[in-house]
Amino acid sequence: MEQCLCVERELEKVLHRFVTYGHQSEERLDELLRSVCDIRAQLVAFGVQDADLSVLSQTMAQCCKNIKETVQMLASRHKDIHGSVSKVGKAIDRNFDAEISAVVAETVWDTPERQKYLSETIVEHLYRQGMLSVAEDLCQESGVVIDMSMKQPFLELNRILEALRMQDLRPALEWAVTNRQRLLDLNSSLEFKLHRLYFISLLSGGIGNQMQALQYARHFQPFASQHQRDIQILMGSLVYLRHGIENSPYRSLLETNQWAEICNIFTRDACALLGLSVESPLSVSFASGCMALPVLMNIKQVIEQRQCSGVWTHKDELPIEIDLGKKCWYHSVFACPILRQQTSESNPPMKLICGHVISRDALNKLTNAGKTGSLLRARLSQVEQTRDIPQTFDAEQRIEGETQTRTAPDRSLSEV
Amino acid sequence: MAVQETASQLSMALKVQEYPTLKVPYETLNKRFRAAQKNIDREASHVTMVVAELEKTLSSFPAVDSVVSLLDGVVEKLSALKRKAAESIQAEDESAKLCKRRIEHLKEHSGDQPASVNLWKKKRMDRMMVEHLLRCGYYNTAVKLAKQSGIESCLEFSLRIQEFIELIRQNKRMDAVRHARKHFSQAEGGQLDEVRQVMGMLAFPSDTHISPYKDLLDPARWKMLIQQFRYDNYRLHQLGNNSVFTITLQAGLSAIKTPQCYKEDGTSKNPDCPVCSKSLNKLAQPLPMAHCANSRLVCKISGEVMNENNPPMMLPNGYVYGYNSLLSIRQDDKVVCPRTKEVFNFSQAEKVYIM
Repeated sequence: MEQCLCVERELEKVLHRFVTYGHQSEERLDELLRSVCDIRAQLVAFGVQDADLSVLSQTMAQCCKNIKETVQMLASRHKDIHGSVSKVGKAIDRNFDAEISAVVAETVWDTPERQKYLSETIVEHLYRQGMLSVAEDLCQESGVVIDMSMKQPFLELNRILEALRMQDLRPALEWAVTNRQRLLDLNSSLEFKLHRLYFISLLSGGIGNQMQALQYARHFQPFASQHQRDIQILMGSLVYLRHGIENSPYRSLLETNQWAEICNIFTRDACALLGLSVESPLSVSFASGCMALPVLMNIKQVIEQRQCSGVWTHKDELPIEIDLGKKCWYHSVFACPILRQQTSESNPPMKLICGHVISRDALNKLTNAGKTGSLLRARLSQVEQTRDIPQTFDAEQRIEGETQTRTAPDRSLSEV
Repeated sequence: MAVQETASQLSMALKVQEYPTLKVPYETLNKRFRAAQKNIDREASHVTMVVAELEKTLSSFPAVDSVVSLLDGVVEKLSALKRKAAESIQAEDESAKLCKRRIEHLKEHSGDQPASVNLWKKKRMDRMMVEHLLRCGYYNTAVKLAKQSGIESCLEFSLRIQEFIELIRQNKRMDAVRHARKHFSQAEGGQLDEVRQVMGMLAFPSDTHISPYKDLLDPARWKMLIQQFRYDNYRLHQLGNNSVFTITLQAGLSAIKTPQCYKEDGTSKNPDCPVCSKSLNKLAQPLPMAHCANSRLVCKISGEVMNENNPPMMLPNGYVYGYNSLLSIRQDDKVVCPRTKEVFNFSQAEKVYIM
């Protein structure tokens, strides 16, 4: 915020100076014009009488001097504003980072192929957001071709969402009925919720809709077992229809945020059905980048100050952990508690008999260094005091998949 | 939203992302200031010249008529100066106000209403996408996106002017006229001046020696334009256009990327993980991975975190699941591994310690 305020202060000064200068130049020039026109009028009125001409001559000479001075002054006053203008530029330079490309590998996306993937990602994002004509434009300008089969789900999703936003439940209901079985497999109560909302919208129409509401209640039948309580509440509200539900114990049925909620529920269930993430991957990645960039810039500065630029090679891993919050824990990660490094295919997690898990590199180090080995053993056994790390280990098993660990191999420790 | 930025984090992001947002309109302000100074200096010197002539004439007993006509000349030049000064100030004021609007928009990142902050964040992404699209040369898309998102871009007009000049240079005069009709009919204020100037080009052949038209057709003007659009519209014919958008995206993908996103058998893909999605997966491949110094295990069955409340349990086949999930899938004291379908006794699951 401070950065913005700094620049804003300088800008205000510049704007003020422009306004002042504008007024001043107008006033002065008007003055000059008036006096010249005056003189001209006098000249024309008096004709060719020498005496008057000499008086007028003096006036004219004075006027000429005035004009030259004023005009000179106006030109140089404007020049003076330059200082304030350049202060704005300096404030921007001081408060914002001009060069940020050093924190990433600059040319890594510079192939036509990767540019195409980037454009594809943007097109998909635009379809998700419902910005169909922008997406079409981008396809045209970038030459990216998107399968109709990929577009189709988003087009339909957006159509239904548009209708929901206008409180039109029919397209959503049609969709829910068509996908009824798959929704039930997902344990989704979308169809019921849609019927419920429709019923409520009938209720809010007042006593005149009573017959309609009653008739519509038939739609609740297939959901009777799962949503018994909800249905009872809905039917119970009919009692108050005459006097207005908003004055009854059932007034919570009329809450308006239910409409926004049904949009969210629909989006979530539809995306789950289609195997898509609820949020646009591009949005999430971009937001994560907004959090990561300042952290990376900071560490870059620290590295440069301490002159240890070999630390960050851009190749395998970022130099520092970036906390995006628990919602971004999409995958399990195992970091060896001893070496504090992520495990990988070539350095898998190994389970010792005591139940502790360390990386294979750490295990090798443990078994190779006698003295260090015993210190580490003490540390690892903190939970299970009575169990030592045994001198023999179990046979190796092949690693598969995430969070699978191997049990450490048979080895005898001669030094222990 | 999966990623939750605090107010101070948003502030920090401003510092690293918004330099171009402010510098580009500033450069326009600078350019207009210099043009204004030139105009004022020029008109001022015209005034000085006619006044000098008048002074000279006065010293030699002139006829009234000649003095009157010289005075008319002075009035004319003074009026020209007044007009030019007013126009120049207006143009400068406009571009300073654009800078101010940009700052005001940036300040909105720290509203106390979450809804308005979310809207700001969405606009931020759209803004940077527009910049990126301009850099790639996808002008129509960029302009349309800017319009739909309510973003004010100071580039569009200058772009249209340059396109007009290019059409003239290629002698496509009819196309140029059509282009002008389409894009310049809404011009006003400082823009109108520029429009008048380039329209004059229609009267001259493209190899004209008459300046300023010659200057406008000068290929060096393209270079100047590119410099001016340094951060917004850097259209390189070689490769390499790192917009703030691509840099942010690279950093973001790296922060999410784990080895599981690239397991060959694809068993670890998570549909919610952005790096696992099709195009981003390919884009993120050459990028560095996230740095994780602390373990976090997520149960494949329930998606819950495995910790002291839900301890990780390893089945004999090596796969690890949360204790609570194993309880929930236990039937007759047996569990079926979701990944390999092997059946084990519940008691065969061993607690593992990951610290």
